[in-house]
Amino acid sequence: MNWRELVLKALNKPSPYGPDVDLERYRVDEPGVEEAKDLDSPIVTAASRVGLETPKLAYVQSNERALYTALVKTLSKYGAVVMATREALEKKPLVKELVWRLVDPTTDKYTAYAYLYGGEVGYFIYIPPGVKVPVPIYTCLAITTNNTIQFAHNVVYVDEGGEAHLVTGCAIPHGVKDGVHIGISEFYVARNARLTFTMLHAWAEGLHVRPRTVVQVEEGGEYVSYYVTYSPVASIQTYPRVYLKRGARAYLASIIASSRSGVYDIGSAAILEEPYSSSENVSRVVARDESRVYARAEIEAWESDSRGHIECLGLLLSPNAMISSIPIITSKKQGAILSHEAAIGLIADREIDYLMSKGFTEEEAKAVLVRGFMNIDAPIPPQIKRQVDYILDLVAKHAVG
Amino acid sequence: MPLLELRDVDVCIGDKKIVSGVSLSVEPGEVHVIMGPNGSGKSTLLASIMGLKHVRICRGSILFEGVDITNLPSYERAKLGIALAHQSPPEIKGVKLLDLANAMAKKYGCSDCTLLAKMLRVDSLINRSLFVGFSGGEKKRTELFLVLLQNPKLALLDEPDSGVDIESVELLARAIEGLRSRRSAVILVTHTGLMTEKLSKIDKVHLLIDGRIVYTGSPDVVLPVIFKFGFKKGLEVLRGGI
Repeated sequence: MNWRELVLKALNKPSPYGPDVDLERYRVDEPGVEEAKDLDSPIVTAASRVGLETPKLAYVQSNERALYTALVKTLSKYGAVVMATREALEKKPLVKELVWRLVDPTTDKYTAYAYLYGGEVGYFIYIPPGVKVPVPIYTCLAITTNNTIQFAHNVVYVDEGGEAHLVTGCAIPHGVKDGVHIGISEFYVARNARLTFTMLHAWAEGLHVRPRTVVQVEEGGEYVSYYVTYSPVASIQTYPRVYLKRGARAYLASIIASSRSGVYDIGSAAILEEPYSSSENVSRVVARDESRVYARAEIEAWESDSRGHIECLGLLLSPNAMISSIPIITSKKQGAILSHEAAIGLIADREIDYLMSKGFTEEEAKAVLVRGFMNIDAPIPPQIKRQVDYILDLVAKHAVG
Repeated sequence: MPLLELRDVDVCIGDKKIVSGVSLSVEPGEVHVIMGPNGSGKSTLLASIMGLKHVRICRGSILFEGVDITNLPSYERAKLGIALAHQSPPEIKGVKLLDLANAMAKKYGCSDCTLLAKMLRVDSLINRSLFVGFSGGEKKRTELFLVLLQNPKLALLDEPDSGVDIESVELLARAIEGLRSRRSAVILVTHTGLMTEKLSKIDKVHLLIDGRIVYTGSPDVVLPVIFKFGFKKGLEVLRGGI
C-alpha cells in the first residue's frame, strides 16, 4: 500500500478520544491566499470575542482564505517570517521538510482529511537564529459561515537561540451555528530557543474542534503552551504531544470553562526523551450546565534526571456537569521524578461565606473564587498575560452565569 | 439611638443553641471587649452580628442604626457598615490579596489603601494568594487591613491578638485606635491582656460564659480581676462572692 492509499484508509479511522464527527456532512471551500486590505466585520467580531484587536493581527484566516496583513512587513524588520503555509510551500524549500513530519497524516480521520483536502492553508512562521522578536505575533482563525470545515496547517520554526511569542485566537462571530475546525500544528523549537504559544478560543454550540499538535523541543529549548477556551461548543478533542530533548523544558497549561451540552476532551502530553528535560502540565476546569470535560495529561520519562509534574484541578459548578481528570505518569528509567495531583470539588461554602462578609453578593463571591481558581503563573510575557487576564475575567463571569 | 442593639438574642448552629439571651447596646465610637473561656460562644456571637451563614439567630433581634438586620445577608450588613475580622480566615488559593483589596477599595471607596497596607505591614503579602502560607500575625494583620478598607461604622474583631508576636499586637492596637478615632465602634473578642493593655480606652467589658453574658462592667474593675483569678473564680469575685 502506498502512502496516499494509507492516508485514504485513515479517512475511516476515528480518534480514540472524543465524539466521532461525520466530516462528509460538511462543505470544504476552495483555499486561497490574499493580502488583507480591510478585514470584514465578521472577522473583527470574531477576533474581539477572544480579546484580539484586528490592527495587531499579522495573519488572519477566514474559513479557507488566508489573509496576511501589513504587520507581516513590520515583523520582517525583526527578521521574523510570517506567511501562509500554502505560499511558504512554494517559496521556502525548508517548509517542505517541515510539513507532516511531526504530525502523521494517518493518525486519524481528521489528520487524513486535512492532508488530503486541507489545501495547506494556515500560517508558517520562521524565527532566524538568535532573533528574539520583542512583540507578540498575533494570528486569528475565524469561521464565518455555516456548515464548513476549516483546515489550518500551522508550522512554526524558532531557530537556534531565537525567541517568539505567538498568540492565536480561534473564534467565530455570533450567528455561525455549526462547522468543524481541524488545525494541524507542527512546532519546532531549536536548541536554546524559546516559543510561547497562547491560544484563546471562543467557538459556538454546534462547532466540532479537532486540533492536532506536535511540538519538538531541542536541547535547552523551552516551549510554553497556554490554552484558554470559554465558549459553548459541540465538542473539542485535542491531545497535543511535546517531545523534549536534553535540558529542554515545557509548561503546558489549559484553562477550560465548559458549558451547555459540550464535550471538552482536552489534554497535554510531554515526552521527556533525554536527561534534564522537564515538563509541568497544568489544567484548571470549571464545568457548568450539562457539559462533560475530560482533562487528560500525560508525562512519559525515557531518561533519568528528568522531571515532570501534572496538576489537574476542577470545579463543578452545576449538578449535571461532569469532570473526569486523567493524569498519567510513566517512567522508563530510574532517576526520573514524576508526580501528579488531581482534585475535583465544589466552590467551598466557607470561602463564599467569607467573601460575602466582605460585602460581595453570592454571585460576586463565586466569580472572585472562580477567577482566582483559574490564576496560574504561566511564564508568558506581561502584555500577553494582561490579554489572558481580560479573557479570564470574562470566563469567570461566564462560568457563574 | 444605639449604633448596634441586640435584643435577647439566641444563636444556633444547626439545632444546637450556642448563645442564649444576649442583649447588648453599642454606641458610635465605643470599644467593647468580650472575654470568656474557649467555646463560650464569643466567635458565634460576632458571626451572628455579621450574619455569617453557618449561624442562625433562633430568637431575638439585631438592630443596626435602628434598622432590624436580623434577616439580612452578610453582604448587606457589610454595606451598612459592619465589618468582621475573622479569627481563622480561609486560605483561598489563586485569589491574590491585591485583587480582593482592589475589589473592596472599589466597593467602599478607600482613598488611603496603600498607606493602610504599609501601616499594617501587609504590602509584602499583596501579590500572594489569600492567607496561603501566611503566618499567624500575617493573617491577623491582613484581616484588620481588610476591615479598615471597609471604613466600617462597627468593627467586629475576633481574637486579633491570638498567636501573634508582640510587634504585631502593637500594630493591631494602633489600627484599633485608628478606628476609634474615626468614630467607628469596636467589639473586640480577646483571651489575653496583651491587647487590652495597649488600648487607651475601653468602654465596657462583657464576660461571656456558656453562651450568656454573665457580667458587664468597666475595664478598670473587670480586667484586673479576670487576669488574676480567671473566669470562673473571677466572676465570683466580681459578683462579690469572695
